Amino acid sequence: MKNRLSSRTFLTMMLLFVTLNTLAQTSEDEWDMGDWSEEAVESPIFTGFIDVSAGNRISSDPVIDGAKTLRDIRLQVQWEKLLSHSSLTITSDLYYDGVLDDVKLDVREFAWQGRLDAFGEWGKYFDLKLGQQVLTWGTGDYLFLNDLFPKDYQSFFAGRNDDYLKAPSLSAKLSGFFDWGNIDLVVTPEFAADNYINGDYFSFFSSQVGSNIAPGFEVNPPYLPESPEYALRYYKTFGSSELAIYAYDGFHKSPSSQTSEGQAYFSELKVYGASIVSPAFAGLLKAEFAYYASRDDNQGTDPLTPNDQSRLLVGYEQELMKDVSGSLQWYLERTHDYSQLKLNSLTPEYDPNRSRIVLTQQLVYRLMQQTLTINAFNFYSTSDKDGFLKLRVDYSPVDQWRLATGMNLFYGDDNHTFYNQFEDASNFYASFKYFY
Amino acid sequence: MLRVTLFTFSLLVSLPGTAAVDVDELISSAEKVAYYSGEDGRSDARMMIVDSQGRKQMRQFTILRRDIEDNGDQQMMVFFSRPTDVKDTVFRVEKHADIGIDDDRWLYLPALDLVKRISAGDKRTSFVGSHFFYEDVSGRAISEDSFELMNETSENYILKATPKSADSVEFSYYHVSISKQTKLPVNIDFFNQDGVNYRRVEAIKIEEIQGFPTVVRSKVSDLINGGYTLMEFRNISYDLGLPDDVFSERSLRTPPRQWLK
Repeated sequence: MKNRLSSRTFLTMMLLFVTLNTLAQTSEDEWDMGDWSEEAVESPIFTGFIDVSAGNRISSDPVIDGAKTLRDIRLQVQWEKLLSHSSLTITSDLYYDGVLDDVKLDVREFAWQGRLDAFGEWGKYFDLKLGQQVLTWGTGDYLFLNDLFPKDYQSFFAGRNDDYLKAPSLSAKLSGFFDWGNIDLVVTPEFAADNYINGDYFSFFSSQVGSNIAPGFEVNPPYLPESPEYALRYYKTFGSSELAIYAYDGFHKSPSSQTSEGQAYFSELKVYGASIVSPAFAGLLKAEFAYYASRDDNQGTDPLTPNDQSRLLVGYEQELMKDVSGSLQWYLERTHDYSQLKLNSLTPEYDPNRSRIVLTQQLVYRLMQQTLTINAFNFYSTSDKDGFLKLRVDYSPVDQWRLATGMNLFYGDDNHTFYNQFEDASNFYASFKYFY
Repeated sequence: MLRVTLFTFSLLVSLPGTAAVDVDELISSAEKVAYYSGEDGRSDARMMIVDSQGRKQMRQFTILRRDIEDNGDQQMMVFFSRPTDVKDTVFRVEKHADIGIDDDRWLYLPALDLVKRISAGDKRTSFVGSHFFYEDVSGRAISEDSFELMNETSENYILKATPKSADSVEFSYYHVSISKQTKLPVNIDFFNQDGVNYRRVEAIKIEEIQGFPTVVRSKVSDLINGGYTLMEFRNISYDLGLPDDVFSERSLRTPPRQWLK
């Protein structure tokens, strides 16, 4: 949908909507605390927020015109209907994207969720969630091994709120709860890809070209799979430790494969893994493993399709002092059949290392009665000699609004490595969010 | 029973005003009355946080609690409904009375569908931005302090509590007033190393609910900068027979609606 509204008109419409929705708000004597009277005043029909965000490139990108990396005017509307043993929820964002000059609708959630008690005795062990929804599991912070639900890296890189790192998918999630453990089965009837870096906002490295490109490409059927994805998790708590086993059957989440004609596509992928989280020392220790079976390239001989990989994560987090917490993660991507990859590679100078190792460090400092949060998260790859530093400050002294500012900084030595290829995507941003 | 009563009575008659108070028993019953009424309970709660500049924030939530044993382990779920920013966020605690075992804590963030295990932290940090600490909500284990009876008025016993592990807390000692009638702690004044009373937790309004004396309004004040938080409880009930499986990961994603109404 091409934009026919000016951004100012769009903002005015949003403000009008919010004003109408919150006209009934009042505040009285100290213990009255607003509208919590005996006869409860009707809750607002809608809740949500308006967000205005802007971000710019720190330096220019030779293959993308313009400095803008983020220009959002966003209205989120949430509506919830509680039924006797279930609920219906809609959370939808309408926003004007000033970088692409487009108005977009992002339905984050449109789902029915409930217990299956009504379907007989067995039903009390099962919950079902049907519809558009955001899904998450696994143990890593910003590193995903067994979580193959869609991510939105464009939002992540642009500095949108962390909520937007996960993209929604149209899925059915059946959860079973038993003495011997809990089971989640997620079926996504039509493959949901990541919102990967495609050149719309940020350029990426092309090994064929030997430099960054920004084609703004989309992958369409038949190269975009239309078949289902299946994700399975079994988990159980033993004392204070949580153990989980995972399986996934679907496709690589970004179009990392190419046909011999150079057409990008999503090749088949199966993933098996496990994780454990346990209190240790004064904090939490976690470990996660995943085996990526790249079905279209079992032997690793096809240079245009990713090889099998083993991925391993070990992390630890603890409170360092009052209101300051820290975490460390060590992450490994081990490429299998590496000699085959080298043997068949078309661009050996840009091949990834056999082992890609990433260390992450995080510090979170909450101060001023938790109204101000400073968050620093750094990815550093010892094998690629590159990294990605995320800095963010959030300030919200009242319930109605939140101010945030931050910086995404990509750095490194070589122009083709995982993080440093986005060096020109480095940006700073600010956002103002008003809740209604 | 009769004998005990008579004995107690005679003791009171013979030693007026200096009746020996069993401090251990007093604080143990105060802990039970304050945090363990009934086998389980539910309550709607609302907090108003007022900072030193008079700016207000509000938090609204429902608490479900289940005791594994009196004065012992507890399970707790806190379902947030307001403000918009934290709506549908759920906080889950498995409280371990043994101070050698950290509580297990989880947070559910609905926008990401993320169940986040929270590392055992300082319990004396702000509970969701309020002047209440986590420990004020879940209860500070009485085994962490040494108590001595300081004073008594016609209504209250006043005890001085000194932490056994002084470097684990920000206070040097506190004074707690325990109501003779209800055994509820009604006022706690915290003092720092200089003997300055910098923080106060007080019960503002107490009602009897299903026979249990219950604090329905309480207040925490920062006596240095003037900020404070009011907390009010409504729709309180005890002994609902809350099943074990309400206190599980399942309830984070699918809240047990029948207990939240």
